[in-house]
Amino acid sequence: MSEWSRVTRPIPVPNEWTKPFWDSAKRGVLALQRCQTCKHFQHPPYATCVRCMAIELAFEPVSGKGQIYAYTIMYHAGDKRFAAAIPYASIIVELDDAPGALLAANLLGAPYTEAKVGRRVEVVFEPLNDDITLPQFRLARDSG
Amino acid sequence: MWEHRCKVAVSGVGFSKVTRSAEIPLAAHALEAVRGAVEDSGLAMSDIDGLATYPELPATGHAMIDGVTVVSVNCMMAMLKLPNLTWHVQVETVNIGGAVQQAVNALLAGVCKYAVVWRAMHNPKGTYQNLPGTYAQGPAQFTAPYGFGGPGQGMAVAYTRWLERHNQPREKMATLAVTQRRHSHKNPHAYFCGQPLTREDYLNSRMVAYPFCLYDCDIPVQGAVAIVLTTAERARALKARPAYIAGYGQRLAFEVAGRIGSLSSYMEGGRSSSRLTWERSGFSPKDVDVAQIYDGFSASVIYGLESYGFCKEGEALDFIQDGRIELDGELPLNTFGGSLGTGRIHGLWHIIEGALQASGRAGERQVADVNVSFVGASAPIVQGTTFIFVREPY
Repeated sequence: MSEWSRVTRPIPVPNEWTKPFWDSAKRGVLALQRCQTCKHFQHPPYATCVRCMAIELAFEPVSGKGQIYAYTIMYHAGDKRFAAAIPYASIIVELDDAPGALLAANLLGAPYTEAKVGRRVEVVFEPLNDDITLPQFRLARDSG
Repeated sequence: MWEHRCKVAVSGVGFSKVTRSAEIPLAAHALEAVRGAVEDSGLAMSDIDGLATYPELPATGHAMIDGVTVVSVNCMMAMLKLPNLTWHVQVETVNIGGAVQQAVNALLAGVCKYAVVWRAMHNPKGTYQNLPGTYAQGPAQFTAPYGFGGPGQGMAVAYTRWLERHNQPREKMATLAVTQRRHSHKNPHAYFCGQPLTREDYLNSRMVAYPFCLYDCDIPVQGAVAIVLTTAERARALKARPAYIAGYGQRLAFEVAGRIGSLSSYMEGGRSSSRLTWERSGFSPKDVDVAQIYDGFSASVIYGLESYGFCKEGEALDFIQDGRIELDGELPLNTFGGSLGTGRIHGLWHIIEGALQASGRAGERQVADVNVSFVGASAPIVQGTTFIFVREPY
């Protein structure tokens, strides 16, 4: 199991496009930007819908269930703050509700060797400070 | 087919000394490479009237200092004081291949006669990828908090997807690393020239970002390479045999910044760039006699072989086996050693080797009977460009 307790993560700085994502995460809700015209979810947030070019976009909650689209196991701490967790799994999650919108995360609560393409995962929330809470993922409880 | 095929040629190439760390300012490396290319073509420096480059340091968290960490067009102009300069450009979107393509366009437009393109790469002191400090701004806010740092990880995630979707073992990549290292021993300018690498070295090497071990990653170095481009007619009057540009392309797809590279986006980048190159040149993958495919990380070669059409999706790790990519194989690949053999100088060295092979000037590593020489000059996803050089205009 990767040792995350001694890792100091860089703190995300919300901007005008991303603030609703972080505001939702703080409330324990995973919300992604959605085109109000074609209903396409996208992540990271962007100025326009990258599918239909509409500019009417809003953040809507998603279920937080999905699967590991891809992953890497980090053995080299380019950022020394992550050295304590090595080796650790950095994963890319594709959500059931938002095909094509890929979220980066770590695989929490399981040995890094459990990271495999296609494994079912679900969102959990990791508070970094009073303002910022990181969406993270663990193996889905119903995945067996 | 492209009406301008074979109307521009590479007629000189040059190399600086490649060192592991910075011993002299990067500008001195760039100057050495440019002088070498001009001398190779048989021109005088005063003949050069066009300049193009892509001045970028792919490391993060380091100061940009012109002449030290990058070598811009302004820096080169200040050094060379070219009396007949008529055109210059720096490109942004498609790495050094874009600078070469702009130089081709300028020559075709008649706004310069002899253009020099260089790529200079710095190896900064300390950690190559210095991740953001206490805070993660912009696109990094969605990646850095999870320990995603340099491009290696961004490449690694797509590679795990490729390996597991196609049920392939990473150990097969040893063939690429070992073959390219052997090729680099016939390239006196390569950083790893003369340093052997065995299959066992690859299989036992330390993991960096699974599935990438140490030998899947090119080594950061300090150095520069350069070429002289001119019109075909002028090239025929120069010292070096010309390598004619039969076609080129650039990637036409782009995903929103900050998203970690998905396998499909690598493939779309490569397909879009190579499609232009095949259409413009009139050739197809089966016509290619020798190929250089960007290999800053080994998996780029896999995405390249598949998205350019040399083999089907999922087959690339089998394709590189059984001697196929040896100098006398069916598709000799990265015959100069690739970035894995030369060190991290980006794609201009791939372009140089493509030109040298087409003009029969690759020396000890020359592939027999080359006419069609293919180059994929950068990772297909965000920076991809492709080229075909030929020995005989058609």
